[in-house]
Amino acid sequence: MVGIVVVSHSRGLAEAAVALALAMVPGTRPAVAVAAGLDETALGTDAAAVAGAIAAVDSPDGVLVFVDLGSAVLSAELALEFVDPDVAARVRITPAPLVEGLVAALVTAAGGADRAAVEAAALAGLRPKQEHLSLPAPPTAPNGPQVVPPPADPGVALHLDLMAPPLGLHLRPLALIAQTVSHFDADVLIGTDAHAPVHAGSVIELQTLEAGPGAALHVTAGGRQARSALAALAELADRDFGEG
Amino acid sequence: MVLTAPSAAAWLASFAAIVHANVDYLTELDSAIGDADHGVNLERGMTAVLGLDATAFDSASALLKKVGMTLVSTVGGAAGPLFGTFFLRVGAALPADGEVTAAVVGDALQAGLDGIVQRGKAEVGDKTMVDALAPAVAAFRAAEPDGLAAALAAAARAGAAGRDSTVPLVARKGRASYLGERSVGHQDPGATSITMLLDAAATTLVA
Repeated sequence: MVGIVVVSHSRGLAEAAVALALAMVPGTRPAVAVAAGLDETALGTDAAAVAGAIAAVDSPDGVLVFVDLGSAVLSAELALEFVDPDVAARVRITPAPLVEGLVAALVTAAGGADRAAVEAAALAGLRPKQEHLSLPAPPTAPNGPQVVPPPADPGVALHLDLMAPPLGLHLRPLALIAQTVSHFDADVLIGTDAHAPVHAGSVIELQTLEAGPGAALHVTAGGRQARSALAALAELADRDFGEG
Repeated sequence: MVLTAPSAAAWLASFAAIVHANVDYLTELDSAIGDADHGVNLERGMTAVLGLDATAFDSASALLKKVGMTLVSTVGGAAGPLFGTFFLRVGAALPADGEVTAAVVGDALQAGLDGIVQRGKAEVGDKTMVDALAPAVAAFRAAEPDGLAAALAAAARAGAAGRDSTVPLVARKGRASYLGERSVGHQDPGATSITMLLDAAATTLVA
């Protein structure tokens, strides 16, 4: 599982951001480490602490490093000179938004995605807010794969209609859906009466559905394990997506 | 000449004293275009450096690398990774046996400058410490044939001129860049503190 590091000038900010993001991630979670502040209260960043945090969460799947501002970027880059070159080669410092990106990254990493997919989700972290507030989406990041629109014709597919939970599809149920789907070799799309289908494996895309309480969810699944994926989603819906 | 850990320690002590005497000045410069922490941050770092036992290092190279790591972990702001990278690179470029010529010191200063440029991605004209350090290293290299003392003096003079050149510039890096045109008319704090480091070298490393 991809490890996550948060570099910030403020330890309070970093720890709160991690706590917020972890609250969205049910079940198994990726390793997360914070390198923030010179101590509990003094603002600042420390490249040696960043290197230590990277080492603490490193695995063959790699590490994604979030940074807040200014010296956080410089300290994170310098930290890559302090860690083993083999480790540095699988670390990526991302320009993704700290809070929104962290949520997307933790959910995506928890689903077992590789580092590029985790970063792509993080970079797209502002999309739900931008769509909701009607701002144009940012240009595609130079390195990260961007969200690909679902195919117009999913081919042979199974259908299932579900109902959004009583509090609507907010982040926790969305994270559960994305995690559930990620366990199957299946292409699963979810749409609503008001929104075209999006990939169910992407918590970022799911957020753009803005499915309110009781909204109809039109699920389509193709691929080898389509039937099992739908069954798992139906089971999830029976439990009100963990909200019951 | 021989550049030993004690002579490097004298350079650092001189720099620390200059920073200490100018904490308020550096903070004042930084409050105009930055976040008003450069003086305090640098003094905290240099206080930690003064706490190092120079006699525990058998070369200037080893001491300066430790100084770099110390600043990285204690300064906090962008000056931490930037000054830290400078000392790490200078230390790595110096020979462990301490025997140096002006050309060897020139190579080490060049390595320090290259490290800062690589780290901060600033160019001359961006209103940063590079505006002072780049011409200082160039002046040092040009004066190398005249010996270390002359080269260090030339570097300090060129650094001061480079520092002064930052006043009319528009900041293009760091916190000051958010100010755009409003950064014009203010001297860059980083260019000021790196010139203090060059001044300290010119007065202590002259043997």
